[in-house]
This record gives sequence, C-alpha cells and structure tokens, in this order.
Amino acid sequence: TVDTSHEDMIHDAQMDYYGTRLATCSSDRSVKIFDVRNGGQILIADLRGHEGPVWQVAWAHPMYGNILASCSYDRKVIIWREENGTWEKSHEHAGHDSSVNSVCWAPHDYGLILACGSSDGAISLLTYTGEGQWEVKKINNAHTIGCNAVSWAPAVIPGSLIDQPSGQKPNYIKKFASGGCDNLIKLWKEEEDGQWKEEQKLEAHSDWVRDVAWAPSIGLPTSTIASCSQDGRVFIWTCDDASGNTWSPKLLHKFNDVVWHVSWSITANILAVSGGDNKVTLWKESVDGQWVCISDVNKGQGSVSASVTEGQQNEQ
Amino acid sequence: MGFHQFGQACLELLTLDDLPTLLIPGVNSKKHQMCFDWGPGEMLVCETSFNKKEKSEMVPSCPFIYIIRKDVDVYSQVLRKLFNESHGIFVGLQRIEEELTGKSRKSQLVRVSKNYRSVIRACMEEMHQVAIAAKDPASGRQFSSQVSILSAMELIWNLCEILFIEVAPAGPLLLHLLDWVRLHVCEVDSLSADVLGSENPSKHESFWNLPGNTQTLTELELKWQHWHEECERYLQDCTFASNPHLESLCKIMLGDEAALLEQKELLSNWYHFLVTRLLYSNPTVKPIDLQYYAQSSLDLFLGGESSPEPLDNILMAAFEFDIHQVIKECSIALSNWWFVAHLTDLLDHCKLLQSHNLYFGSNMREFLLLEYASGLFAHPSLWQLGVDYFDYCPELGRVSLELHIERIPLNTEQKALKVLRICEQRQMTEQVRSICKILAMKAVRNNRLGSALSWSIRAKDAAFATLVSDRFLRDYCERGCFSDLDLIDNLGPAMMLSDRLTFLGKYREFHRVYGEKRFADAASLLLSLMTSQIAPRSFWMTLLTDALPLLEQKQVIFSAEQTYELMQCLEDLTSGKPVHGGSDTQQCQDDDIETTKVEMLRLALARNLARAIVREGSLEGS
Repeated sequence: TVDTSHEDMIHDAQMDYYGTRLATCSSDRSVKIFDVRNGGQILIADLRGHEGPVWQVAWAHPMYGNILASCSYDRKVIIWREENGTWEKSHEHAGHDSSVNSVCWAPHDYGLILACGSSDGAISLLTYTGEGQWEVKKINNAHTIGCNAVSWAPAVIPGSLIDQPSGQKPNYIKKFASGGCDNLIKLWKEEEDGQWKEEQKLEAHSDWVRDVAWAPSIGLPTSTIASCSQDGRVFIWTCDDASGNTWSPKLLHKFNDVVWHVSWSITANILAVSGGDNKVTLWKESVDGQWVCISDVNKGQGSVSASVTEGQQNEQ
Repeated sequence: MGFHQFGQACLELLTLDDLPTLLIPGVNSKKHQMCFDWGPGEMLVCETSFNKKEKSEMVPSCPFIYIIRKDVDVYSQVLRKLFNESHGIFVGLQRIEEELTGKSRKSQLVRVSKNYRSVIRACMEEMHQVAIAAKDPASGRQFSSQVSILSAMELIWNLCEILFIEVAPAGPLLLHLLDWVRLHVCEVDSLSADVLGSENPSKHESFWNLPGNTQTLTELELKWQHWHEECERYLQDCTFASNPHLESLCKIMLGDEAALLEQKELLSNWYHFLVTRLLYSNPTVKPIDLQYYAQSSLDLFLGGESSPEPLDNILMAAFEFDIHQVIKECSIALSNWWFVAHLTDLLDHCKLLQSHNLYFGSNMREFLLLEYASGLFAHPSLWQLGVDYFDYCPELGRVSLELHIERIPLNTEQKALKVLRICEQRQMTEQVRSICKILAMKAVRNNRLGSALSWSIRAKDAAFATLVSDRFLRDYCERGCFSDLDLIDNLGPAMMLSDRLTFLGKYREFHRVYGEKRFADAASLLLSLMTSQIAPRSFWMTLLTDALPLLEQKQVIFSAEQTYELMQCLEDLTSGKPVHGGSDTQQCQDDDIETTKVEMLRLALARNLARAIVREGSLEGS
C-alpha cells in the first residue's frame, strides 16, 4: 500500500512506464508523485497549481523525459516536467470553458501529443513543437453536452515494414477515440492537412459514455475498443482492419449500475472494469471469442458472500 | 498481496459464484467506488468517487493506494533456483526436439522429466533447511508450507511421469506406482508399514523379476493367479484360524479391502491404499482400469467422513488420464504458473495434448508459458529467463516480448546494453530505437553529451542527433573546446545521420587538420563547410573568424579564388542581417563588436586577395 496522505478523495493513480513511480491526483487539488521501487514509498513531489479537484494524470513516454499531464475541474490542463531532479510546471493550457475530464498521451511514435476532453464538449490536442512551445488544435463540439474520455489508437506503421531512411518520419495515420454525453463514441483521424476529422460514430449506448479505452496492439490485424456507460453496459468493439471501417460491438456485460472506468492491461489480454457496485472485475477473451470474467477485486469489509451476491449472473 | 487466480478461468467458463474475490480493506462506504489502473506489472486500486462534483463531500476518504501484484513468488529467494535451473532444462528440451526420434525419444523425455523433478526436490530440501533455520515461528511455518507445496508438486509430477510419459504397460505399471508410493508416502516409515508395504513387494519383486526378463505378461499373470488361489484355499481351509493376525494378513494378501482398511492408520492416504490394494488384488492392472480402482479407493478410504482435497482431485484426474483436468486443477490450486507451464510443455513434447479434446491443443501450452514468462518480467533479474520462454511461443511470444521488454527499467548502462542486445538479436528495431531514444534523452538531461550522441546514432534518430550536435557546438562557442573528442573523431559513416552531425564531425576535422599544420587542407575544408551549406548560418561568423589566423599567416594559404568565395560568404552574411535599430545599449555594444569583426575580416580578406593574386601571377609568369 502507498499512503498518499491526500486530504481528500483520490481520483486517479497511474504508474509510470517502468512501474517505478506512482502519480496520484485528488480533490485536494494536488498532484503527488512517489518513488515506489522495492515496495517502498518516497514522496518525490507535491505539485500545486490546480484550483479545483484534479481528475486525471497521465505519464508521457520516457523518451521525452519525465513528463506528467494533469487535468482538472478548474478547466485547465497542466504539463509538469522534471528538470535537474525537481518537478515544475512546464506548461498550462487554459483553452476550455469547462471542467477538463480526461487527458491521454498519444503513442510516442507520433511525437509528444496530448489529447484533452472537456465538459464544454470540445477536445483539444496539444503538440510539443520544441523550445517549450505547444501547438494547440481544438475540435469544438466534439460531443454535445460534454466529452468524458479520450483514448489513442496504438501506432501502426502503415504500408511495408522496410526501414525508413533516417531523418524521415514514417507517415502514421493518427487516430483516437472519444466518449461523450451524447451517448456516442467517436473515432477521429488526422487528415493530411493536419486537421482532425470525425471518421466514425459508434452508437450502442443509451446513456452517457463514461470511458473509452483502445486496446494495445498485439500484432493482430484487428483493432479493439472497450467502452462503458451510465447505462450499465460495457461493449467491446472490434474492427477487422483488412476490411476497413466496420466496427462491430459485442456486449461484454450489463451491470446493475453505472460503469465508470475500463482499462486494458499492458499486454492487452485482460480488461478491468470498474462498476458502481464497489467492484472491479477482470475479463479475458477466451479461445472461442467469448469474454469471460476471471476475477473480482472487491473493496470493503463485510462478508464475501454479501459482495459477491450483488449483480451475480452467469457469464457467457 | 498475491493475486494468483489471474487467468486460470480461460480454461473454463465460470459463474460469478466461483469467482475468486480479493478483498481490499478500506472504508466500506456505499458512497464510494474503486478506481483502478494498470501498471506494467501490477494493478493500482484506490477508493474514489466517480460522481464528479466540485464540492467534495466532507466524508473522510481513504488516502491509500493499493498495489496489487500477481506474481509474488518471483521474489522468493529459494524459488529462484527453481526458476533458474528449470529454465535450463526447458531450453534444452526445446532445442533437442528435432533430435528426439524413435525408441530413444521416450527415454529421453523421461530423463527430462526426472531432471525437473530433481530440481523440485533440491528446492524442497533447501526450503526445508530455511524453514528449520527460521528465526520466528510465523515465517518458519510459511516456509514449511512451501515445502509441502513443493512436495505435492513433485508427487503430482511423478505420477504424471509414470502415467503419461513413461506410459508403463500393464505389468510394470504397478511397479512404478509402488516406487512412487514408497518414495512419497512411506518416507514416514514405521515398522508395521514396512510389513505391509515392503515385505511382500520384495517377495513379489523376485516374482516379477527385474526389468528385462523374458517372461510375458500372461506368464506372470498365470503365476500370480496360482499363488492367489493358493492363498484363498488356505483361508477357506481355515489354516490360520488359530492365529487372527496371520488370518488378516492372508486376507490382506488377497486384496480384501475391509482387511486393508482395518490397518488404515498405517496407510497414510488413499493412494497408498490404492496401490497396496492393487498389489494384492490385481497386480497386472491395465492403465485403463486404473481409474475405477482409484475412485473406489478414494471413496472407501475417506469413508464419507471427509471430502477430497484439491490434491486428491488432481491425482484422481491423473488416474483418469484426463490431462486437461490435471492442468486445470493445478492452475487453480497453485500460486504460480511454474508448475503447469513446464509440465504442459513437456506433455506437449510427448505429443499428448493434441490427442485430447482439441479445444485448446498446443495453444494451452503457449498460454501457460506466456503467463509464466510475463510473471518473470516483474523481477529485476529473472526477466532474462522470460525472454527465452517467449522465444519458444510461436504465436504471441514475439509481440509479448516486444511489449514487456520496453518496460524494463534501464537503471544501469549494463542493463540497457543487455536489453538492447536481446532486441537486436531478434531484429526488434522499433524497440531498439525507442530504448536508444530514451537513453539519449536521459543522457542529455544529465549533460552527458557524448553518451547522448552515441545513443541517438544507435537509434538512427536524426532529429535528436541534430539536437545534440547543436549542444556540442554551443558548448564549443562558450568554452572554446570540444568535449568527447574521441567520439566525434571516430564517427565514421554515422556522421551522415544528420546534416548538423556531419557539420560537427567535419568542423572537428578542420580543427584537427589545423592542429597538424596542414593549412592548405584546413583552408579548403573550412571553405567547403560554408559553400556546401551544411554549416548553419548562425555558425558562419565563427567559421569566418576561424579563417582569420589562416589569412594572417606569412604564407598565402587561401588562393585568390577561394578568397573571392570567402568574401562572397561574408557579404551574404552581412547583407542578410537586419539593421538593429534598438536603443538597447547591450545591443549597440553587440553591434559594435559585430561591425569590428566584419571590418577586420574584410581587411584580412582584401590583404590575402592581394597577396594571392601576386603570388599566382608571378608563378604563372615565370
């Protein structure tokens, strides 16, 4: 366990790329970073700068240095960086009119790019251009009422796999998914002129989409996205890349309560789902393509039977 | 915290009833939920409220974050030896696969199996020593329980070896089982157990003769039949009526279950009972019939008083020759994947998995190996073993390795090089590139420019190479000298990676050539740096200033033509400059310095031109 000593509710905790550092954020407006090697905990930084509850944190890829992004109810996105052993605010983005709910770094192959989803319905994309400068692109009205989650597609090298001549960047097709209060999941693609266009709309939920998570690539030609919603449903969307753009949803499970959060394990074989019923369930795809619940992580005292009886159903 | 039930249900669909549940201690409030995320090797869980409100409710919340790791066994000191040595056996088995043919195949596979078992026993022995030496009773108990687990593992493996790998036919099967029981059960020998267990078998062993005898099974069976009938006759004739002991002994020798059960306390468990029973009632039992005896032995022994334990179920599955069930039950019962991964791999080599229910086939082998190897990656040094396991998983091994290897913390240069070597050997160019970039970035942040440069060259990262070269050049301007000369001097073809890098290399070469007093060469090089456009404009002033000493030499170095070119460069440079109209005094001072420099250059160039023309003129003339 790590005692974060946050004075208020914790909203997110993220391990860095190597599992050596832990970043947490809370309603107490702070972002904390701990060194958790060898089972210990050492507070490295207590970052203040937000003026409201901080909803999410995200670590950038280590090739860019030690960089952490955070987003908050105060409508701001702050990028923190470690220079010479100390953590400082490196950049602040205040381009939203409402709470920023989600931040997600793009695959490192694309450069240092951050996607931010906000309750004002817009999604902004911050691209680092060097010398402390960030370029901003904004997608207004991405989702009516608000955008709750953003998640990038893994980088896929297009075309053949021959080595690109040095100095030349391969032409990646950048895509990400967003989920919003319009009950939709939208897939966005960057056009040649650098503008972002809505490529697909995935409809299946009957209430606000709370989270989307694009599964890491495991070398198979299919793409997979998990989505969860206020309507208690979790869908697994798959697209056979060979055919192009048809996404088909499969209902993972219908829970009795809001499903807030979905997240893929690093090797994409286990999906963790957090429900309103105090449980985190873990799902894995079995050989015949069915999704199977493999475990339960449950919080709280009380007898095991009490917590297990909630929402008990057969898995198929 | 251990979380060992990950993934085993891939083998079967489970209802929520069966789900293993891990309880996290914490405030049990109905208002809050659990937030979680994945780390590279673990899972983070904490209490939170997903309902985003600005005002947080003034309810005390739990500030703890729980880190759940699933492969805690990896950190055990004693088990490490098990992992290391079994790794060697595993790799050896994969390599000799092609050579395993014909008759020798089976015996070689049996030998591999025995190797695995001896490793388990060695580990058990060591764990036992640790348990005895333990300082506090709690850890002593923990180690002891580990010993029992290892012992159970060896027991199961041994049985699997007999039934599945050795595939003993009807006759010798019982002999093997006798050995098995004697080895594992009769270790707690008492004299009476000896009477029951060993005395008669030794009589029987001479009866069977040693392996390699020429008696056929039927002959043996016939002999045994005669002997059995003789015993029965004795019993019926009440020959032993006077001596109840002898009578019960005779009954036992006839395989009478009731008589055997009377001696229950001497039989430590049902499989001891089973083997003993078989010995007396059906020593030539065929493998197919084994399961019926096994089931009834279990039932009789337990006598309805207790229910079978996990170990019993596993052994029963083995007697039923249900390999999949054995593997499944072991996966559930054991806390790490070591056992099932290695056993399944071995059975796959025996070509046993295909012959069964083909739902999983050799995919199961791969699945288990992947799980085991992933667990190894959580460990700071055992990850290297994991690499080999991934190598032998044809479907998802490579991509799993790619994902895992990038996440290894590169704390030391040594470790980084090791990781890179592994990636390069497998042509994982993307990973090599990304790792080199990470290391280059780290080096730059620690101001180790030479290191940064060599990493960016290895990563073939032109952009980064340019960045580092710029830093080098900037350093030179500030300090007047280069760091890491060795590296820059020996760039070789790598220099071509980026223009800036090429410039850096060539510029350094200029200095070297100048130092060797090869002025003419130095001069041409310097000029070419500007005319070929590889020098950044910002650096031209420095280059021209570098030309000054060459222009001031007694002998004429730059030819007339070269001087014209230099003048051209100077004019290009000065004409391109915007007029500084600032009132800033510093700016004015800078301007002054600039102007002075330019004037000096113009003067030097003019003088040189004059001398060059004269010299060339006179040479031509004479």
